[in-house]
Amino acid sequence: MVLPLTEDLTKNWLREFSLPVPHGAPADCSDEAASIAARMPNGAVVKALVPTGRRGKAGAVRVTNGVEECRAAARDLLGKTVNGHPVHRIYVEERIAIREEYYLSLSLRGAYPEIMITRSGGVDIEDVMRVHPKRLVRAVISPLHGLTRKEATNLMRQAGFETAMYPSLGALAVSLYDAFRKADALLLEINPFVLTNTGAISLVGAMMGIDENALFRHSKWASTTGLAALPANPRERNVAITNRQLPGGECQYVELDGDIGLLVGGGGAGLYQHDVMLELGGKPANHCVTPPTGSDNRKLKAVLSAILENPRLKGLLIGFNFAQMARTDIRISTLMEVLSEQHVGIAQLPIVIRLFGAGEEKSRAMIAGHTNIHYVPRGTTLKQAVRLIIELTSGKSTVSPR
Amino acid sequence: MSILIDASSRVIVQGITGGQARFDTEWSIKYGTHIVAGVTPGKAGAMVHGVPVFDTVRSAVAEHPAEVSILYVPAAGVKTATLEAIEAGMRLILVTTEYVPLHDVVYITAAAREANVCMVGCNTNGIISPGKSKVGGVGGMNPAEIYCSGRIGVCSRSGGMTAEIALSLKEGGYGISTSVAMGGDAVTGTSMAELLMLFEQDSETDAVVIFGEPGTSNEEKVAELVQARVLRKPVVALIAGAFQELYPLGMSFGHAAAIISDKSDSASAKRRHLATAGVHIALALEDIPQILQRIFGTNHDRSMFT
Repeated sequence: MVLPLTEDLTKNWLREFSLPVPHGAPADCSDEAASIAARMPNGAVVKALVPTGRRGKAGAVRVTNGVEECRAAARDLLGKTVNGHPVHRIYVEERIAIREEYYLSLSLRGAYPEIMITRSGGVDIEDVMRVHPKRLVRAVISPLHGLTRKEATNLMRQAGFETAMYPSLGALAVSLYDAFRKADALLLEINPFVLTNTGAISLVGAMMGIDENALFRHSKWASTTGLAALPANPRERNVAITNRQLPGGECQYVELDGDIGLLVGGGGAGLYQHDVMLELGGKPANHCVTPPTGSDNRKLKAVLSAILENPRLKGLLIGFNFAQMARTDIRISTLMEVLSEQHVGIAQLPIVIRLFGAGEEKSRAMIAGHTNIHYVPRGTTLKQAVRLIIELTSGKSTVSPR
Repeated sequence: MSILIDASSRVIVQGITGGQARFDTEWSIKYGTHIVAGVTPGKAGAMVHGVPVFDTVRSAVAEHPAEVSILYVPAAGVKTATLEAIEAGMRLILVTTEYVPLHDVVYITAAAREANVCMVGCNTNGIISPGKSKVGGVGGMNPAEIYCSGRIGVCSRSGGMTAEIALSLKEGGYGISTSVAMGGDAVTGTSMAELLMLFEQDSETDAVVIFGEPGTSNEEKVAELVQARVLRKPVVALIAGAFQELYPLGMSFGHAAAIISDKSDSASAKRRHLATAGVHIALALEDIPQILQRIFGTNHDRSMFT
């Protein structure tokens, strides 16, 4: 997953590579913002410090003249919510006199990093792609050799920059790629980078999203994982928080508007069962990803609790592909643990378990005596298990766990 | 025959002293896989289930020649360990590790390609050529219960689904030449199309079953090769995740790569492209043996197992 960094962190990182970033600093309150602006004779731009793009459109970027205007803008922005993120801090940056605006981005999604450059900067790049695709220069970069000076200079020529600018812009792109790669970034978007009135280049807009899987190399950013907005649904929120707090594989819980809970693994079998359930006329109450079973079952427990706490729930399918590596009994003991913690009504909830593999005898013994739990026999297909839970839940009213 | 591994394959295990590696090594040896050496830096001289441990891949293969390596190293060490395996001359490298930083993944993928090494994964649970050899956790403690030998190739983006496909084939009386779990990540080493080309050239594979998911261009490339008649053996495809199209774009369900970025890599678009190219589409696991029966008739020598 991409972890978006706030503008101050992104620009600090770029400064470490001696890239031309405007002077600026974060502030927690309007007085602090004012004192930063006092050092900016050409005025200051005040921006909500939230890890999201399109702040300008959301009214979260204010151009100010003088200390008092800056203070007022800061006071106004603090406490607002921008694109779902509450504004606790703002970024105060020197105002740059712009002659021309350009765009450069680096991204990594597939097997090769990609660079995009256009002289039409400062606008939505999606608009440029749609309206003037020829103005956009795109190229892939070799992961082994990186972006060479020669390639970068050539791209600037293709993008239509003036000859005199090639060498400095080529060098700029090479440094940006270096910063991108060393940050383990999946996206670095400079929109705009500008030619100033004095003929200098300045990286006015900078947004970077880094690879969550690479956080172990970037401990200084680890604390920013809390920046991504938490879901509003309380059950989704609980799972998201558990996911952040505990190490180990990722868990996910997405609530949908159906009534049959799905406890599935992370991969293909879960996708397949969801498709089959819809095809057979069932309505999933959620989709989820559960981490591989280990000795620590806390993430699995969080997902199961979320599923069982959903007030729309009428039935639960615990459906996994034939377990080749994981132990089945860890999943079932976790189920029994969560069931025993949830009191009223749960004994009537139809549950179908399709879970074969190591520890199966123990798993089957654990559910003995629970007439609402149907542990299907070996050889039952995933589709048959889906059909059974649909049959058991059709016509049932909601079984409220609370 | 089979693809990638057979009864004569010699395998080393990088990170052999870890828990999952020990478990898989034990059950692979019991299955008949020749695991000739293990590697864990600093643990030279140790033994794991009778397998000698070395500090480096180079020192391991100097004493115990091998051409296959499987990695169980932590995400932070995958790049170095993979490059070490490439430099030591491994021809096939399986990376089991999940959550490897993408910049590392694209680097080792490119390095393997440049060295003409077949890299499977990251995030593979292994390869099995039933009755001959298995590398990785595939099949767990009792692979023979799931994977029967025969003439159908399997290539799946989900490790778990290789077991379900194998069971549906078994139910229909079919067996498997080789089953490859290519890993469900956004970027993996050897592509589905490349693996299918290996099956195309394998004299003991008659047809291939693929399991696909939303995201990546793997299935698209298969469709192109089938369309171009470069792949001539029958291909049966089960593509899961069509339900995602009922929800907003960009919502994540399951595997990291299984996020539809636009409509062109959705499950139903993939089904459509594959079907147009001439691939047989299965909507359920139960359909797979039925489709094979339609293709080959009932007299097809289904399995060498019988």
